[in-house]
Amino acid sequence: MPLGLLKYGLSKEHPAPRFFQDRTQPKKSYDAVIIGGGGHGLAAAYYLAKDYGITNVAVLEKGYIGGGNTGRNTTIVRSNYLTPEGVNFYDASVKMYEDLSEELDLNLFYSTRGHFTLAHTESAMRTMRWRAEVNKHVGVESRVVGPDEISQACPQLDIQCSGQAPILGALYHAPGSVARHDAVAWGYAKEADRLGVEIFQMTEVTGIDVKSGKVVGVNTNKGYIETNRVLSAVAGFTPRITDMVDIETPIVIHPLQACVSEPMKPWLDTILVSGSLHVYVSQSSRGELVMGSSLDPYEVHSTRSSLDFVEGLTSHIVDMFPFLSNVKVVRQWAGMADLTPDFAPVMGKTPVEGFYLDAGWGTWGFKATPISGKTMAETIARDVAPDLIQPFRLSRFEDYELTGEKGAASVGH
Amino acid sequence: MKLLECPINGIRPLSEFTYGGEYRDMPNPDTCSDKEWAAYVHYRNGAPGVKKEWWYHGPSGTWFIAERDTMADKVIRTYIAGQEEAK
Amino acid sequence: MTSRIAKKRGEWINRDKPLTFEYEGQQVQGYEGDTISSALWANGIRVLGRSFKYHRARGLLSFANHDVNALMTDGEDTNIRADVWPVSNGMSLKAVNTDGGVIKDKNKYIDYLSPFLPVGFYYKTFYKPKRMFPFWEDKIRKAAGLGEVNFNYPRNIRPKRHAHCDVLVVGAGASGLSAALAAAAEGLSVILVDENLQAGGSLSYDYAGDQSSADTLHALLSEVEANQNIRLITDAYAGGYYTDHLVPIVEKSGITKVRAQSVIVATGVFEQPPVFRYNDLPGVMLGSAAQRLVHRYAVKPFEKGVVVTANDHGYRTALDLASVGVDVVAVIDMRSSGAGQDLTQKVKDSGISVHKGSCIYEAVPSSNKLGIKEVVVCPYDENTAEADTSKSVRLSCDGVAMSAGWAPAAALLYQAGTKMAYDYDVEQFVPAQLPEGVFAAGKVNGVFDLKSRQLDGRRAAAEAASYLGKAVQLESFKAASVNRPSHPYPIVNHPKGKNFVDFDEDIQVKDFINAAKEGFDNIELMKRFTTVGMGPSQGKHSNMNAIRILARIRQLPVEKIGTTTARPFFHPTPIGHLGGRGFHPHRYTAMHQWHVEHGGEMMEAGVWLRPAYYAPAGAGLTASEAVQQETLAVRESVGMIDGSTLGKIEVFGSDAGAFLERFYTGKFADQKVGGSRIAMLLDEAGVVVDDGVAVRMAEEQFYVSTNSSNAATVYREMQRNVQLWKMQVTLVNLTGAMAAMTVAGPKSRDVVASLTDIDVSADAMGKGAFRTGKVAGVDARVMRVSFVADLAFEIHVPYKAGLHVWKALMEAGKASGIRPFGTDAQRLLRLEMGHHLVSHDTDGLTNPFEAHSESLVAMDKPFFIGQRSLKILEKKPLNKKLTTFVLDPDFHGEVPNECNLVIDSASQIAGRVTSISYSGYLDRHIGFAFVPPEHSHAGARFQIRTDSGAMVAATACKAPFFHLLESRGE
Repeated sequence: MPLGLLKYGLSKEHPAPRFFQDRTQPKKSYDAVIIGGGGHGLAAAYYLAKDYGITNVAVLEKGYIGGGNTGRNTTIVRSNYLTPEGVNFYDASVKMYEDLSEELDLNLFYSTRGHFTLAHTESAMRTMRWRAEVNKHVGVESRVVGPDEISQACPQLDIQCSGQAPILGALYHAPGSVARHDAVAWGYAKEADRLGVEIFQMTEVTGIDVKSGKVVGVNTNKGYIETNRVLSAVAGFTPRITDMVDIETPIVIHPLQACVSEPMKPWLDTILVSGSLHVYVSQSSRGELVMGSSLDPYEVHSTRSSLDFVEGLTSHIVDMFPFLSNVKVVRQWAGMADLTPDFAPVMGKTPVEGFYLDAGWGTWGFKATPISGKTMAETIARDVAPDLIQPFRLSRFEDYELTGEKGAASVGH
Repeated sequence: MKLLECPINGIRPLSEFTYGGEYRDMPNPDTCSDKEWAAYVHYRNGAPGVKKEWWYHGPSGTWFIAERDTMADKVIRTYIAGQEEAK
Repeated sequence: MTSRIAKKRGEWINRDKPLTFEYEGQQVQGYEGDTISSALWANGIRVLGRSFKYHRARGLLSFANHDVNALMTDGEDTNIRADVWPVSNGMSLKAVNTDGGVIKDKNKYIDYLSPFLPVGFYYKTFYKPKRMFPFWEDKIRKAAGLGEVNFNYPRNIRPKRHAHCDVLVVGAGASGLSAALAAAAEGLSVILVDENLQAGGSLSYDYAGDQSSADTLHALLSEVEANQNIRLITDAYAGGYYTDHLVPIVEKSGITKVRAQSVIVATGVFEQPPVFRYNDLPGVMLGSAAQRLVHRYAVKPFEKGVVVTANDHGYRTALDLASVGVDVVAVIDMRSSGAGQDLTQKVKDSGISVHKGSCIYEAVPSSNKLGIKEVVVCPYDENTAEADTSKSVRLSCDGVAMSAGWAPAAALLYQAGTKMAYDYDVEQFVPAQLPEGVFAAGKVNGVFDLKSRQLDGRRAAAEAASYLGKAVQLESFKAASVNRPSHPYPIVNHPKGKNFVDFDEDIQVKDFINAAKEGFDNIELMKRFTTVGMGPSQGKHSNMNAIRILARIRQLPVEKIGTTTARPFFHPTPIGHLGGRGFHPHRYTAMHQWHVEHGGEMMEAGVWLRPAYYAPAGAGLTASEAVQQETLAVRESVGMIDGSTLGKIEVFGSDAGAFLERFYTGKFADQKVGGSRIAMLLDEAGVVVDDGVAVRMAEEQFYVSTNSSNAATVYREMQRNVQLWKMQVTLVNLTGAMAAMTVAGPKSRDVVASLTDIDVSADAMGKGAFRTGKVAGVDARVMRVSFVADLAFEIHVPYKAGLHVWKALMEAGKASGIRPFGTDAQRLLRLEMGHHLVSHDTDGLTNPFEAHSESLVAMDKPFFIGQRSLKILEKKPLNKKLTTFVLDPDFHGEVPNECNLVIDSASQIAGRVTSISYSGYLDRHIGFAFVPPEHSHAGARFQIRTDSGAMVAATACKAPFFHLLESRGE
């Protein structure tokens, strides 16, 4: 047992301070207001304070921190994307994640387990090779592997998938990891708070005040706040915020569902994804299988669960792991995801001066938490988006310069 | 929503239908600007509300419009495109 | 030692069928009908498992399908819930999550470390230095988890059943039975489900020493059984509520998906434990669990016990215990007010002393810590939750029954979108606003008195009937008031803790206090930080107390704290049940069987199966040999491929030509009858999504083909646009109705000519010509195509005639050495011809300019889908262009693969290979690649990087590739 825990046993009073202050009433004005107290918003606040000394910042969260997609995703972190701009961006995120527990002084359970994207068809194999080639080019460890290597890493997997969709190979991505998702939000909240950022839960933005094309304030359920800089980091709610400033975006909202099994002793060491079977699965440190599927097929703005989702997902899980037939699903849930036409985020400046977007994260927002926070902080502080996120600018749609991630999305996650 | 009313075939399970996106009026391609066209192609009305949407009943090959509250996920009415008045 | 008592009326065990099984190496006797827990308890076995975190010994707690500390494995299956799973003869059980057996579990030392493992401890350590985390993580992973999975467990999937009804009643207790009967009396069809083996709910155990409720149950049940409108399903739980009243009913044999017109939720309540130190020792159990043991299984929960209660139910439990000879030492009532006069008198009359305003300050473990030897009773202050330890009394006992209140089993109501409100009369959340068609009755609705529950059931049924359009009299009634069934704060503080709130996750009162101190002071954050309610029982016995504790910490009323959302499933549900029998449909062409018989290596192509190549038995061909031979046959003589999977759509009507003009990029209005044209389809953004061929069969009749994989989507988009554009067009999808085959190669004309009345001569039928006539005596559509070879005929016939025509052509081609060829050879043949494949050589962003398909785009038309976007793209510089290329003639190195990258002189990505093959006919490696436009002209050189990193030079060249033969002088 690590010595760090001794104080908890020896001290009479619980020797740990609050992660962040309990605040209810925002001040009249801030240098920047961040809408959304999820991982992204809190990370942006943290880096604004840490990298740029901008600490007069309010994070406004309409529910509780980390209660949106930060707390609803299947916690996978990876960078094996298809386009060089995508790979570079997510690789920067992976590198930040690797040191994040130490930086935030909180164990995020960042666990590098290796990530296999299974291919069941020749065309999927082609895409795997495409991604591997681009990854290698950029310096990210990904390669195409055959069934033997998959079996070695996960001997329990039925390579024949019960005869339904035999596995031909996979894209193996060694840095693929999982992390304790809630803790990422808590860690950023804790450190942002320590640096002077003010976090308000149960505080909902009801309007954004724009005068002559510039942001001048926000209306909230706790009153009006003056500010010249507003960041929207509200996956699942982006269109409601962009409507407040009359900005058009391609973002539509589709639910994304997931479920967990009962805890069992560890056996699945890797992260497995199958695009053809619409499955991603890993085993948490609690022993639960965390399982997800593709986005729901139509727009819904609620976190209701559907039976179709869990029926479809489990039918594929038994194809991959026939012995799980009697293992039980404990709980299913849903999040609301921003969906873009090219399966890449929308980040950076907008036509409204002082209004910045961190949106369009689809199913891949969690893995980008540190780098999106870092780059959005830079964008806000300097009013210039860094090169790393230029490919994700909103104007790319008007310019017909969509990113090429579309090709990999069907086998993504 | 788990059931949907096809204007031709009546109430059928959702699994028989395909979502076709929001119904949107196309700007006149001859007179609109490039910017307007790009917006039409790429931008969407993503906020929740009652929307006119395309839905397709697969077994019978029927396209129709559903007016759906995307927050409550409830369909208010359905009709064949252009036959809205008749309903 | 046996705790089994004499046969009781209504018991659920069959004493005529004794059986024997093994638990942790010990032989145990039970009866048919016993659950594992009841049989073990009858045999005096008290330690049924170890807890998740601290590995504390645990016994029986709820006996209601949430005893998640009593999980077993039988060697086959794991995490078997002992409290509800039936015993069977010869089974051999072990508790899960122990190291060295449930008694000697080596991990029990963790309990002693618990002071050093505060709430969320794992967030606070193990990560410095970073490199040590994998070490600690491995330890944590091994310690976590419950049972071990058996990797040899058989694939066991259960087909789904479906059922429909007017009213689904969930829960067959007093209110549910009454509701079902009342609904059935209105002529409504009713499905009534209950998770217990037998219907009745608390009517079958909550007797308070008097079995009159059994008579009520008997009467209700006989009525239900006699009623034709009611289908009663027991041993089945409603897994969740989904929109439009879809409720999966989960049985051991599988899932029935019930689609109801309305749902009555009569699911009752879960008993909640009072919280005191060591309330988790084996022998300490909920009052209702003790009652169920007694009345359903005829098992004494303990010999000498005390009842601790914060409501009247504890008194009822005491009477039930006394009725079977348990020595009930005392009823410890945490309320200073005590119970009703009658009940108190009855208890006292049974010789049981009653201590009002008292609590169990702590239970004292027996010397081996595997049971309880006494309890410390102190005066209790309900306001401060403090015990006055200066006045403690010790009562020796071997068991405790505890009652403190109830939490509604409201998961289905929450999932349906019910707004719940806190009712201070019953100290419980009750439905305040129900969604349409959903009703609640009985205890879940806050109604506790037995008569009132029956009335409430009838009231709910009447409302459901009215909702379904029946003319019924809706009567309101007032539920008889009862003594507050739940205590607002049944918690006893203890400086040493171990007063458990969540038994799944070993969470004690101080964990909540400390979590709040660290800022996790709203219910959702607290849940995530402490993990309360996240174990397999999903908070059934812990969430309510957690809310009460947090309310007190925050000094807020309970309703301000709110509840966490109850997600499906109500109980953990097997993956094989949920997945059910998977459907993996395939489509077979008319010639499928022929292909299989002739060695066709069948591959999936979308929903179809197609031969990739033919390797007839005994021919000893490798795949690549087969492909090269098939290709050569086409180049030198004749070959034939089954093309039935092509999309085939007929477009009729006065607007047919105009429709295709708007739909596709090319021109069709002026197309001649009997001619064909390429039909390229874009999306609105100008991306190429399909290409096919459009044939004009008559002035107002076109026959259009699409790529195999796009058949359904292209047809669908055509349908949408016919409706949108309001055009006089009728569409018929003939994809499945027509078989198609392509006869290709220099001798293909001879082969086809020998079987048809159509003049297929070069003069009569040039490239792109289309004719109808007879082929092998069958009405056929014949087209001169040139996708795989210069000379080829695509023949379409009705599906039923497909095999006949195929065989006739094979026979006719025999003399010419005709060979069937598969999709692999087709890929190579079209590559030699220089034809790219949409979505193989193009991707989701490729426009016609990049795909080298400008010639197919009629920009001068008034409109086609994607045209306006092309007008924008036209003005932008091109970034890449698809080009045909060839490797050097003497190339012998590592052959590039598809998707290898084109690398420019600055070592940057300049493009990628989309197709590459070795052509035996040309003796060259040929392919398609995306390259910068400046490298796309014939003769331009570029570099391809192989899998291993080697650079291979390639040369852009024009297509088709046959000029390569000329350059070799052949």
